[in-house]
Amino acid sequence: MTEFLIRRVLQSLLVLFLISIVTFGLIHAAPGGPTQIFLSPGLSQEAGRIQAHNLGLDQPVYIQYVRWLGGMLQGDLGQTFKNNLPVSEILWPTVQNTVILMGVAWLFAMLIAIPWGIYNSTSEYGISDQTASMISYIGFAMPVFWFGIMLQELISIKWDLLPLSDMYTMGKEGDMGDLFMHLVLPVSVLTLGFLASYVKYSRTSMLEVLDQDYIRTARAKGMKERRVVFRHALRNAMIPIITILGLDLPILVAGAAITESVFNWPGMGRLFIEMAVAREYSVLMAITVITAVIVVVGNLIADILYAIVDPRVQIGRKGGVSS
Amino acid sequence: MVKKKWTSLMLIVVLIGSLLSACSSSNSTTNPPKEQPKPSDTKTEPVKENTAQTPKDGGVITLGTFSDIVTANPLFASDTSSGDAINLIFANLYDVDRKANVVAEPWSLAAELPQISEDSKTYTIKLKPEAKWSDGQPVTADDLIFSINTTRNPDVGSPGISSFDKVDTVTKVDANTVQIKLKQVYAPFLYSLRLSLIPNHILKDVPAKELKKHPFGADPTKTVTNGPWKWTEWKQKQYLSFDADPSYWGAKKPHIAKVVYKIYADQNTEVQALIKGDIDSVSAIPVTQLAAVQSKENLNVVLAPGPLYEYLGFNFKGENFPGNVSLFTGEKTRQAIAYALNRQGMVDNILKGTGKLMNSPFLPGSWADPGEAAVNYSYDAAQAKKLLEEDGWKAGADGILTKDGNRFSFELQYNTGNNRREQVAAVIQQNLKDVGIEVKPRGIDFAAWQEQNINPGKYQAILAAWSLTDPDPNSESIFSSKYFPPGQNAGWYKNDKLDQLWVKGYSVVDQNERKKVYQEIGKEISTNLPYVFLYQYGTPQGLGPKVKYAEEDKPEPSLAYGYMFRIINWWVE
Repeated sequence: MTEFLIRRVLQSLLVLFLISIVTFGLIHAAPGGPTQIFLSPGLSQEAGRIQAHNLGLDQPVYIQYVRWLGGMLQGDLGQTFKNNLPVSEILWPTVQNTVILMGVAWLFAMLIAIPWGIYNSTSEYGISDQTASMISYIGFAMPVFWFGIMLQELISIKWDLLPLSDMYTMGKEGDMGDLFMHLVLPVSVLTLGFLASYVKYSRTSMLEVLDQDYIRTARAKGMKERRVVFRHALRNAMIPIITILGLDLPILVAGAAITESVFNWPGMGRLFIEMAVAREYSVLMAITVITAVIVVVGNLIADILYAIVDPRVQIGRKGGVSS
Repeated sequence: MVKKKWTSLMLIVVLIGSLLSACSSSNSTTNPPKEQPKPSDTKTEPVKENTAQTPKDGGVITLGTFSDIVTANPLFASDTSSGDAINLIFANLYDVDRKANVVAEPWSLAAELPQISEDSKTYTIKLKPEAKWSDGQPVTADDLIFSINTTRNPDVGSPGISSFDKVDTVTKVDANTVQIKLKQVYAPFLYSLRLSLIPNHILKDVPAKELKKHPFGADPTKTVTNGPWKWTEWKQKQYLSFDADPSYWGAKKPHIAKVVYKIYADQNTEVQALIKGDIDSVSAIPVTQLAAVQSKENLNVVLAPGPLYEYLGFNFKGENFPGNVSLFTGEKTRQAIAYALNRQGMVDNILKGTGKLMNSPFLPGSWADPGEAAVNYSYDAAQAKKLLEEDGWKAGADGILTKDGNRFSFELQYNTGNNRREQVAAVIQQNLKDVGIEVKPRGIDFAAWQEQNINPGKYQAILAAWSLTDPDPNSESIFSSKYFPPGQNAGWYKNDKLDQLWVKGYSVVDQNERKKVYQEIGKEISTNLPYVFLYQYGTPQGLGPKVKYAEEDKPEPSLAYGYMFRIINWWVE
């Protein structure tokens, strides 16, 4: 296990390094630079050059990269070009806000979807199963922004039950009750999105397992159905579900740009788009690196969880699964 | 600082483009009556709901916006949001009235209009002796001199640098009087004097290159101001708040106790917030949502178009065309295109009445508007065909015109995601097809477009816009051959007569003299057509029921920042 972890961490570092090089290169290769966005048309060419020089933008890209990497390794994410704000100051609050929003929605979706999917697998094509299918179709087919707008229109404007947008009412920052009220609508939208796929996955994955010979054997032994499902089937069925959850983990930090925009949630998804338009390289790089780290960590966690739900999965052995 | 004078015009395609682009919606049935542009027509929709007589002190106004500020330091601001914030917390040296004349208002720092010397090169400015910074220090000649000299210093990197490129020297006469000497007579300089000042006593020892990193303008507690409100909070990407400054020096105090400037990431949500009453003003309602706002009885929409116009720009450089010669070299050809376009149809159907036809680069109703002197090309396909024939174009086998072996087919570029331009480009394509010209519309990502096409002047034709944030009519930098790419004359347009007229227009300070020159320019430019001027357009403002003002203080859409025109006199109920 330890050997595995060390190997994985080293691998991950290499991956992160490569990701950062590629992203840095791509961002700089994109047409239009920060100077073009924030320098006004009135600025003379000469003055523009002076500014580009002050910001180090006249250096070759690889030198800029080395500088960025140096800062990064010392925990310095850099400053924005436009107004010289430290990137960390912009980034961390938005990360937190996004984690709150996405985390709640994700947790909700999981708590509803997994038990529901399991239940539906035991009564295939029953009313509950049909309902879940219906919800999944709606969740997949309906554009998120549209659902959000409809909720706003109806619940917030017409009936005036919940706030329209934002994270807190102004002046009530930190008030949990207020935060809760603001969470309801965006969480509903996001939960529906997550739910759509999670219910399907857990149901299908359970069905596959329930079809196996060893389940038939268990039933033949006269074991109670409850015990068959929870003791024998569930553990195996969890493996693909964990994979999906692990893969979705980065979304918790990366955020959902559209939902965040519609509900004016001050999160990462929004920030990323804004910063991409403004060509704020340092913020974009920081977001990319953070997301990449989470992807890597998410995969690692999923791997470890495999071993917990299924002891046959032995991490670190060649061949992975051995019996 | 947009309100300051940098070059007379700037390309603003991004913001305005994104404003008006959105999902399409049902047709509005509440189109306002169409009007022909008239001189002195700065009429807005009736604002009766918001006009009232007795001001009340106190209360909060919440202004909605679509992007965060970059900085509150007047030296570095060049975006609209930063300009909004600066307008609240800094007094200007001079302001403009509704007709865009430079004036010394009770809330301006200057005591009176500048005295201009005989040779029109020296401006003497007197500051109000009572003007004070929020830390109690007086606003003095030193502040003005420091502000101008810092802006002029290329090491500082101020976007306002070109506002003062004609300045020779700035000297102190006494504690409240400054003399500015120009290198040449330059009438538009008057508008450069609308600047906000930066405090000499706080920033004088900061090295030029370090100014951008100084907390002045970034940290509310370290931003010493001199306007009616002071800056109290900046919650990044969420909101800013401003409280009436109890120590404000002006004789007229602001009525509104607190201004909240709230940032929305999504235009639809911003408009919904206005409808719900979360915010009291939206400075730009997307055309697609206009009907929804207009249908609410308690909301008021200010419809008149803003200080910007859209145009179809021709490129005159031969190497941008396959035959190595521009398709647009013939004056009659360009006039034919102008006749072939149904501009009124665009205003009615795409802008939903929020625009006005333009025939020259001067805003209808402004003092420089040439009015009838500029040629108006009404929609007339027959006339267009006739002119094309006179210019030597003959229909080819495929129905497309040809001349000297060149097929009349060109690419029309605009920025992707701009819904309005997409629609206008389609209309142009159809209109010109009717007269035998093939148009291939092409949307390009804005940043790439600017870098690869506009800046180097490499395109055949573009659909773009200019913002006249500076009320001065001087547009030399976009039409004179002195400003070929990388300058702003991206279409390589050259007209010797106009080149001279632009210079003449700014070389005399008397407005009546200038007016004559701009009449002449209007006539020449609308005949020679470097662009087909399409329409003046705007972003309607929406106001909630709380906001009140007297008739003379109502918003003025034709001015930059006109949606908060004289906000010092507004109040909330």
